[in-house]
Amino acid sequence: MGGVAVRVEGLWKRFGEQVAVAGIDLELPAGRFIGLVGPNGAGKTTTLSMVTGLLRPDRGTVEVVGHDVWRDPAQVKARIGVLPEGLRLFERLSGRELLGYTGRLRGLPGAEVDKRATQLLDVLDLAGAQHKLVVDYSTGMRKKIGLAAALLHNPEVLFLDEPFEGVDPVSAQTIRGVLERYTASGATVVFSSHVMELVESLCDWVAVLAAGRIRAHGPLAEVRGDAPSLQRAFLELVGAHGRDAGHDLDWLGGGDR
Amino acid sequence: MSAATGTGPGVPAASPAPAPATSVTPVLVRLKLSLLRNGLRQSAGRRAAYLTSVVVVLLFAALQLIGLVALRGTAHAATVTVLLVAVLALGWAVMPLFFPGGDETLDPSRLVMLPLRPRPLVRALLAASLVGIGPLFTLCLLAGSVAAVAHGPAAYAVAVPALVLALLGCVALARTVAAANVRLLTSRRGRDLAVLSGLLIAVGAQVVNFGAQRLGSAGLDPLDPVAGVLRWVPPASAIGAVDSAGDGAYGAAAIQLGLALLALLALLGAWQRSLTRLMTSPDGSTLQPAGADRGRTGRSAGLARLLPAGRTGTVMERSLRYVWRDPKTKAAWVTSLAIGLIVPLFNALQGTGSLYFACFAAGMLGIQMYNQFGQDTSAFWMVALTISSTRDAYVELRARALALLVITLPYAALVTVATTALIGDWHALPQVLGLSFALLGAMLATGAWSSALFPYSIPQEGHKNVVPGQAGLAWISVFGGMVAAALLCSPVIALVIWQNVASGGDRWAWLTLPLGTAYGALVAYAGLRLAAPRTARRLPEILAAVSKG
Repeated sequence: MGGVAVRVEGLWKRFGEQVAVAGIDLELPAGRFIGLVGPNGAGKTTTLSMVTGLLRPDRGTVEVVGHDVWRDPAQVKARIGVLPEGLRLFERLSGRELLGYTGRLRGLPGAEVDKRATQLLDVLDLAGAQHKLVVDYSTGMRKKIGLAAALLHNPEVLFLDEPFEGVDPVSAQTIRGVLERYTASGATVVFSSHVMELVESLCDWVAVLAAGRIRAHGPLAEVRGDAPSLQRAFLELVGAHGRDAGHDLDWLGGGDR
Repeated sequence: MSAATGTGPGVPAASPAPAPATSVTPVLVRLKLSLLRNGLRQSAGRRAAYLTSVVVVLLFAALQLIGLVALRGTAHAATVTVLLVAVLALGWAVMPLFFPGGDETLDPSRLVMLPLRPRPLVRALLAASLVGIGPLFTLCLLAGSVAAVAHGPAAYAVAVPALVLALLGCVALARTVAAANVRLLTSRRGRDLAVLSGLLIAVGAQVVNFGAQRLGSAGLDPLDPVAGVLRWVPPASAIGAVDSAGDGAYGAAAIQLGLALLALLALLGAWQRSLTRLMTSPDGSTLQPAGADRGRTGRSAGLARLLPAGRTGTVMERSLRYVWRDPKTKAAWVTSLAIGLIVPLFNALQGTGSLYFACFAAGMLGIQMYNQFGQDTSAFWMVALTISSTRDAYVELRARALALLVITLPYAALVTVATTALIGDWHALPQVLGLSFALLGAMLATGAWSSALFPYSIPQEGHKNVVPGQAGLAWISVFGGMVAAALLCSPVIALVIWQNVASGGDRWAWLTLPLGTAYGALVAYAGLRLAAPRTARRLPEILAAVSKG
């Protein structure tokens, strides 16, 4: 505890004309539940992809638990779990087959994989659907099977990109329970979201990202400051407060139709 | 870009139109045109592809038209035109099964929120369906058919309504089938089937080709009775009516025309009924089965126990499962298997074949090694996250090659032996087998290599195998690879040529089998070894390239 889980220095990524990530420096403390928040298009997914080695940065370095992601991939890949957003799974496998496949690719012994898979399927409430193909899963079930695949090798740091997006309240509560138990054991969770209430209730450390830059970071209370809620603080940080266009729509909801 | 104003999707139909209710027909026709134009505006490549296809279709239609007009007055004119129109109608009927969701204006789920009554909606949709290359092509063909059989003023008078009825009949047929199948096509299994149905075209074309060659020797006489029946079946009966009117059989002409009209009305009625049902009942794809199977746990597949442990077995198992379960992979495999069998066997059956055509089986199946990671789609990230060394990449590629060999080796051997049995040239069997295996090894090597260097996305929906913008990559990957594979095989090819040309060379024919096999294995090994470090180094680039589908 107390160490640095992820260290990012001078991270840049440009897609054609558009700069997606414009020089991020960030140190994420180990053993925390960390929220990466920002509006749509702020660069959250791009940042997480570069941190997890799925996207090559134009510039900058990323270290996860002391190992460089690009120079020492073997050390890093064994220690992280990832649930990306917008990428497919091997959807023509059943939930159980997907876990078996992922665990064995990770080099775990077969019997151990099967044992862990059974437990994860049970805890995540997927046991009833374990023989169904993932392509037929609902959004919540997909997120849960993705989370199970990311947890299977007991990583030190877990990266989740929008894990609650489109997930029903019951599945969200299940995911939440598993993540809380996981961080309580000293592991680090980094997750991105634009739902402030969720971040506020889950995280103890946040980083605010807007237009490819870090606007604020630190313990939740510090970032929130004097604002009544994280939502307010966030709107001020990204400069979206006081935009009230109500009077332009005076016909809306009126008597005449 | 003034064209964009006012006709954007959703805008016109949503306007309240308080004045005497404007008809939806022009609105939907304009919507169709806007969608067509906006689709073309997306990329220059798409525009070029569309324009090329328009030109090709128009040229083809013009040739057909000329051919049909030239047919005028010949003995079989009526037979040919009636059959042609019947086949055309069949094409219209099956087209929506092959190209589901190809036309957004006709997707009732997009119109469900609009206050439209079924009858005007059907009229408007029918009109909108008449816009496009397909209907234009059909119109040309029908015009040619009518011109070929119309003799005399009565026939000309019948020709005009016949043309309209036949065209509307074709379009309405397609729409009715599409609407009736929307429920199937919006479910996952239905879409899987639709992808596979592309195979029917591939295999069917070969069979038709074979049949046509047979027919070519026998003439058109056997087809006359078929046409005799079809001339009473709408919409071909419209052409039959023109022919009957030309012969002076006005009663028959009236009945045939009436049949076409009745069929059109029946189709429109059926279409309207299924549209109404579709717009008032939920989409089949969102329905979940109530019960879940909890019973079976920890079933160990029989397949897994036969495969080696570790990454090799894991990857092989997944690859083999995908051959069966993933519709795109399955379609590609079945196509390869079918063509690999049909080309050598049909050629042998026709007596024109050479035993060396049997190499087709190995060549066609070797293609499956190309773009391995594109077949994973963006799920490749799951693989990328577990490859952290050149060794991992090598094992991954080798396992994929092994999975391919599990099917390909016995299949290629079987096709070669079957072709040999048909041709009877047992002496050349070891040569052909050796050449096949060498070719397979070379395909695996170049396939692994191009998988690492030139990956591209395979769209999961529809029939395209390359996303727009990556066609060049796909070309380099597959055709460059195949040329390279042929070059890599040249020592074995040279050996076979020497054995066949040099005096006494064929005494050494048996030697090609062990030499070719060993050479293939060596080349494959070298290819995998060379591809592995490139794969390991380019993981993010590969992921980006295969995530566009």
